Amino acid sequence: MRDYLKRQEKLFTEAQQQRLQELNIMIAGSGGLGTNQALQLQRIGVNKIYLYDYDQVEISNLNRQLCYGRTDIGRPKVEAAAEFLKQFDLETKIAARDEKITLLTEVPEDVDIIFDGLDNFESRFILDQLAAENNLPFIHAGIEEFFAQIMLVLPESEMRLKDVFAGTEKKVTPAVFSPAVTLTASLQVLEAIKYLLGFDDYLENQLLHIDLLSRNMEKIDLK
Amino acid sequence: MSLKVKFYSLFRINLKSPGTEYEIEKEITIVDLIKKLDQDYDGYFSRKLLAEDGSIARGTIILVNGKNIFHIDKLETEVSDGDLVTLFPPSAGG
Repeated sequence: MRDYLKRQEKLFTEAQQQRLQELNIMIAGSGGLGTNQALQLQRIGVNKIYLYDYDQVEISNLNRQLCYGRTDIGRPKVEAAAEFLKQFDLETKIAARDEKITLLTEVPEDVDIIFDGLDNFESRFILDQLAAENNLPFIHAGIEEFFAQIMLVLPESEMRLKDVFAGTEKKVTPAVFSPAVTLTASLQVLEAIKYLLGFDDYLENQLLHIDLLSRNMEKIDLK
Repeated sequence: MSLKVKFYSLFRINLKSPGTEYEIEKEITIVDLIKKLDQDYDGYFSRKLLAEDGSIARGTIILVNGKNIFHIDKLETEVSDGDLVTLFPPSAGG
């Protein structure tokens, strides 16, 4: 086991610890959710993180996208994020992919799960289709104001993202701020890890709805 | 048995209610249900769930027993006693 993971040792069996350190994760979108996911996944000691994005850092990103500062404005996001993460000198490998997610995206062969770090449903439907075609689990999250939802879509799931969220595409830019984004990304990592490490209780055919104003989390059954 | 309607996110906050229930004798459509809800909540759901042309407004989700009505019969989807209708505006950002 890696020396810096001692304090999380008791949480997992030896087999789970081993599995955790072998996991390869694709993060699609290195924005608010994606940078927070990357920070968490690096800290828990996964093997490799593939960071995808085709945008450059903008001033409006800095209220929640934790891998960037003012000096990064104009730089490719994945380049800045990879540099930021690598400075911690932890074992997790960081691979930057400066490209847009499309149906033609070649998902690396060693990926175990795809994380949704996107910010609109049109792109998410493409990502979900990509996950289905590559027979990979996919964990969706969306955050807006004080509300969020998380959905785990498994390769064998009959219910895909579009089955639940069809018709929800809209043109208004959602309001987002750091505490709510960080919390949502952390829950996304937690839920993914529970599934990947074989915990009994993980989100299956359910949507987790998070209301941070009222401090409520509820599971909505899906069919 | 009753028809249960659950509200989430801003719907719940705005209406200060987690949802409502109706005893109905025969099947009604989602359009009929929205009319019922409008009577109890001062026209709120027509404003939130319907576009100007009467179709489903973008940016809202209506699930019947966990299935999006977009993939059933849209606003003509029928519901009856024992069904669960879930209404919320999904969060799109990241």
